[in-house]
Amino acid sequence: MSSRDLSTRPGPPGSPNGGHPAQLADVLERVLDKGIVIAGDIQINLLDIELLTIRLRLLVASADKAREMGIDWWDGDPFLSRRGREDHALEGRLRKLEAAAGLDGAEEER
Amino acid sequence: MIGAAIDTAWYAYAVVGPVDAEIRAALPAPLELVGSAELAVVAGEVPLAEFGEDVLRERLNDREWLEEKARAHDEVIRRLLPLTTVVPLRFGSIHRDRIAVEAFLETRHDALAAALERVRGRVEVGVKIWLDRDQRPARGRQEAAATGRAYLEQRKRERERAAMAATSLEEHLRDVHGRLLASAEDGVVNRPQSSELTGRDAEMVLNAAYLVPGDGGEFFAEVDRLRSERPELVFEATGPWAAYNFVDLGEGV
Repeated sequence: MSSRDLSTRPGPPGSPNGGHPAQLADVLERVLDKGIVIAGDIQINLLDIELLTIRLRLLVASADKAREMGIDWWDGDPFLSRRGREDHALEGRLRKLEAAAGLDGAEEER
Repeated sequence: MIGAAIDTAWYAYAVVGPVDAEIRAALPAPLELVGSAELAVVAGEVPLAEFGEDVLRERLNDREWLEEKARAHDEVIRRLLPLTTVVPLRFGSIHRDRIAVEAFLETRHDALAAALERVRGRVEVGVKIWLDRDQRPARGRQEAAATGRAYLEQRKRERERAAMAATSLEEHLRDVHGRLLASAEDGVVNRPQSSELTGRDAEMVLNAAYLVPGDGGEFFAEVDRLRSERPELVFEATGPWAAYNFVDLGEGV
């Protein structure tokens, strides 16, 4: 891919993006992070957007790598369930893990 | 329809309106329009074996599953975008049955109608700006310092250069964002995606989305103008997307 021309141009109606598939990160960012949250009957709890974002970034980035490093907190953590949410403690833990995994670009550059 | 099996639920993708036969025909097989001609939910039956609350928690950690389903979600919305006004719903909006979808539409009717009006006749365009790693500040290490003092001075100059470059980059970005906002109705700056996520060497320094009129053609032209004016920045424009970034109803519950 040329470094100067990363543009994904609009295509004719019916073929958005001119047939180029969107990058997964862009799709996840929009589909999971944005959009309206609605109150459904069996809806999973996606209200804690920041947590979800961090979680997914870790996941998409390198879940396998993270697992190798022993970071497997997402297995069975209470974040997506309605029971026993301890957001502040969990968030602190996530920040630490994220820093340890070197996944927060903004922090890393400082 | 009546007495639907208990092992399914209804997945809601988007709120759309107005709807007609063409839109109905554009929907892939299991999807239906629930609601009226002015305001309808695009929804379809899904197996609870995949989308039940407990299963979903595990599935979200399955990268392949997540990619497939997230892309499928977006694909439904993409198909609708050229045909009518679309308010995208978030991934995993699950209702017990069709009747629950109808009830949702009824309870939230006014807010959803307002969200629809806000994005009518508009699309979202994503703009990202990348910086090559080797374009970043702190170069000049090749001249080896002869003395300790010279070394310290060299380091000081490097730090100053880096600080200036960072300031000037920030100014450039603010400037670019301002220009783009002037060609848009609204805009948001999101957190840049990490290199691990993008899989690229280049560093993302701006990750923004803009709500623009029509099909975004004018706006893409403005991005092209900026691209030629500022060859030091690598622009990437994506879309048109449904207005994912501009349909926030707060927590919506």
